[in-house]
Amino acid sequence: MKRIIAPLDYSRRWSLRWVIVATTVFLYAPILILIAFSFSESRRLVKIEGFTLKWYEKAMNNDQLALAFANSLTIALINTIVATALGALAAVLLWRFRFPGKPVYEGATALPIIVPEICMGVALYVFFARVGWPSDWIWPFNLSAIAAAHIAFSFPFVAMIVRARLANFNRELEESAKDLGASEWQVLHDVVIPFMKPGLIAGALLAFTLSLDDFVITFFTSGPNTVTFPIKIYSMVRFSVTPEVNAASTMLIVITLVLTALALWMQNRDKPGAEA
Amino acid sequence: MIKRKPRPISRRSLLAGTGAVAAGLTFAPKLGWTAEEAKVNFYNWDTYIGETTLDDFEDATGISVTMDLFADNDELFSKLKEGNPGYDLIVPTNDYAERMILAGMLEPLDHSLIPNKKNINPAFQDANFDPGRKYTMPYMWGTMGIGYRKSKVDGIPDSWKWLMDSDRYKGRVALLSDSQGVFSAAAKYLGKSVNFTDEADVKAIEDLLTKNKPNIKVFADDNGQDLLLSGTVDLTMEWNGDINQVIEEDDDLAYVVPKEGSLIWQDTLAIPTGAPHPINAHKLIDYILDADAGAKIADFIQYATANEAARQLLSDAYRENPAIFPPQEVLGRCESAVYRGEGVQRMINDAWTRVLAA
Amino acid sequence: MESWRRSPKTFLALGLPPTAWLLLFFLIPIGIVWAFSFGEKVGIVDIDITGTFANYDRAFEAVYLQIMVKSLIMAGLTTLVCIAVGFPVAFLITFAPARWKPWLLLLIILPFWTNLLIRTYAMIAVLRTNNGFLNMGLEAIWDAADAVTGLFGLAALGAFQPWDILYSDAAVLIGMVYVFLPFAVLPLYSTLERLDTNFLEASLDLGAGHLKTFFSIVVPLAGPGIASAVIITFIPALGSFLQPDLLGGTDSQLIANVIERQFLSANDWPFGGALSFLLMYITFIAIAARAFLTRPNERRGSLPA
Repeated sequence: MKRIIAPLDYSRRWSLRWVIVATTVFLYAPILILIAFSFSESRRLVKIEGFTLKWYEKAMNNDQLALAFANSLTIALINTIVATALGALAAVLLWRFRFPGKPVYEGATALPIIVPEICMGVALYVFFARVGWPSDWIWPFNLSAIAAAHIAFSFPFVAMIVRARLANFNRELEESAKDLGASEWQVLHDVVIPFMKPGLIAGALLAFTLSLDDFVITFFTSGPNTVTFPIKIYSMVRFSVTPEVNAASTMLIVITLVLTALALWMQNRDKPGAEA
Repeated sequence: MIKRKPRPISRRSLLAGTGAVAAGLTFAPKLGWTAEEAKVNFYNWDTYIGETTLDDFEDATGISVTMDLFADNDELFSKLKEGNPGYDLIVPTNDYAERMILAGMLEPLDHSLIPNKKNINPAFQDANFDPGRKYTMPYMWGTMGIGYRKSKVDGIPDSWKWLMDSDRYKGRVALLSDSQGVFSAAAKYLGKSVNFTDEADVKAIEDLLTKNKPNIKVFADDNGQDLLLSGTVDLTMEWNGDINQVIEEDDDLAYVVPKEGSLIWQDTLAIPTGAPHPINAHKLIDYILDADAGAKIADFIQYATANEAARQLLSDAYRENPAIFPPQEVLGRCESAVYRGEGVQRMINDAWTRVLAA
Repeated sequence: MESWRRSPKTFLALGLPPTAWLLLFFLIPIGIVWAFSFGEKVGIVDIDITGTFANYDRAFEAVYLQIMVKSLIMAGLTTLVCIAVGFPVAFLITFAPARWKPWLLLLIILPFWTNLLIRTYAMIAVLRTNNGFLNMGLEAIWDAADAVTGLFGLAALGAFQPWDILYSDAAVLIGMVYVFLPFAVLPLYSTLERLDTNFLEASLDLGAGHLKTFFSIVVPLAGPGIASAVIITFIPALGSFLQPDLLGGTDSQLIANVIERQFLSANDWPFGGALSFLLMYITFIAIAARAFLTRPNERRGSLPA
């Protein structure tokens, strides 16, 4: 068995596969349980009894839940795009240039990662209140304060990931591209960005995740009519954790799974040689 | 030294201050009372209104309600502290309502716009935290007590002793992680008022809680009812409404207000300063205090309503439920919390941090 | 690395957008709280910025230091476990066939698109002593083992004793690892991906074993990724308050719980600000130390030592 495995074919090694199996079990056991509870007759998350779809019916008829979900998804998408762009810019800047005060600048971009969430939430809340940031714009512009806050705390995460990626970049590639007459922009577009891609993907995933699940900072930056999914869940749970919450989450899991699978499938279809 | 006081941009100080011109400009609709747009922003606890109440209100008045949610009084208070981001109607609990009144965060009510005030139970027509009901109308009320599993305890555990000062149920007891609630209950157990202000009282309570900590399984984050239902604990300190919900599912559970007395709470309807639609907010308050509408709300959320006319319309099962409406002699032993100043608040919080760290 | 003077336009084009955003939506707001930390409360809502250090003095009281140390230990353990588990996972994704990669990444990240609070409640359902799924599983195994020993005429194992893990520091740790695992996997993956496999092959060809190759080639090459994984995991872990709240026992509070209480129930923003900034100073020093230690490495470019 071992003979047929090429030296670098680590994904075929059972020892490593076991690690991912164990990790998957650890990550998914609570998810499966929460899904199981969404079909339970009892309105408490104590015992799974019987089978019912009533919680799904309830969650589907809950307009506020739908609005909260739409708000969260909108914010997360805006955040992912802007934060990934800003994070990539900051990473390239720090990787490429020497400039006075660089260590301080580096520290400042890491600050949003360091600061306790609640402290940042309060800070932004006071800031928006004092500059009189309007909260009565129409949808989706009423989400602007929340989106701005999410971008502020997630782009440093992207910057840090992309920068770690760039640290392994072989500078000679850039130099030779320049020697061959490539412009600054061409070098960036054809050499640096393709190299950054895994970092960008990882960063974008993290930015999306951070935004979708943020409660504290969202709470402090939200105004009337800007309930997001986590805020709705927190207040629902305060009263009682009913399987309706689980049903809503299950639908969310299915929707995101389908959307992502579709996106991946389309991307793979575009480039049949991807298996190389 | 930078003084924070003159805050030219904060909306609340604009309105509260004498800058009437500026205020008029910022909130032009306020000048023309009738020109209010047909909207009202309601900031409420989740599932704390009837299923159709807001739609019914819109049908009756043409005013559309958007409801946002907060999870506890601290959140509500913090959210309005720097100025009102645009809410018209809020639901603070009595001591927080008092604190907000003192901080100028609530708008006085115009009683002439609330004719249904007459429906309120006489006991709630006035309030110690809001004399003359100038700022608040009562909504729902309840008590704090002990939820327990009948088959696992001896008799009725009608004393805070079992939660605060005994190893009899060691490892099967939960307290709330709400410092105010725990300190109020402990004060009652020690024969003090829930409204203690003395440092020595705080110290005595801290010592009691620290000494009894090994007997406690967990400080529940407002999910004591779930702990009880799952059998994780057999006794828990909780709010009556939460225990009532689980009693419906498991008749081995029960609720008791300890003989030493306890805390009684009252949620209120109030209009925060700077509300963009105060007239509509008055209309919504009046609608909630209506007999039929109030009955629908109480029937759905199963808390004790202060709306007597609504209560009369409801079934005996609701009206006679001692877990919703405790007997008068039980209520006689309960006290409601008053706002005791930021200093006491801080003493309690610091003591609580030490108890948790001990 | 070049000096910014060589191409100031590119420098500005790269630097301006993130810097402006950071300044407007982070540094200025956080500056207000920083100012609060030198102030004192006046009345119910107002804060007088008097330049006092009283809040910082208070933050150095024994009780807060004790909680701070405990938080550092918990965050450190979380990071350790996350890196130890995350590294093989990232490694496997890196060497998986290209068309599997996105799916494997999705596999890791998908649970995190479910609300944290709901997942934590599900975690309670897994860990709790009565009706907990972990204990149900253990009990089934125990009973099976009991039946087997009975079969061979050996003494019975006795009644099953459920594992009382919920509401303890161990449960908090499990909860924190659960939350922060992707924070470790993603940066590790992004550095390991397109790792120059020539180094690995050369090492293996020269007779080094897989383990030796791993520690002397892969780990140094992944250095920056490990460092950023440590930072991205450790620091947010230091700020977790939900897990101690919901999974912890009677003494599981961490510094973020204390900070949260100051901003909410205690309504003491100056002290909350002081505690937050103290936490920030500590992590800042840690990051500066890392920058100082890894600097010589960076100069050598992409080749490992």
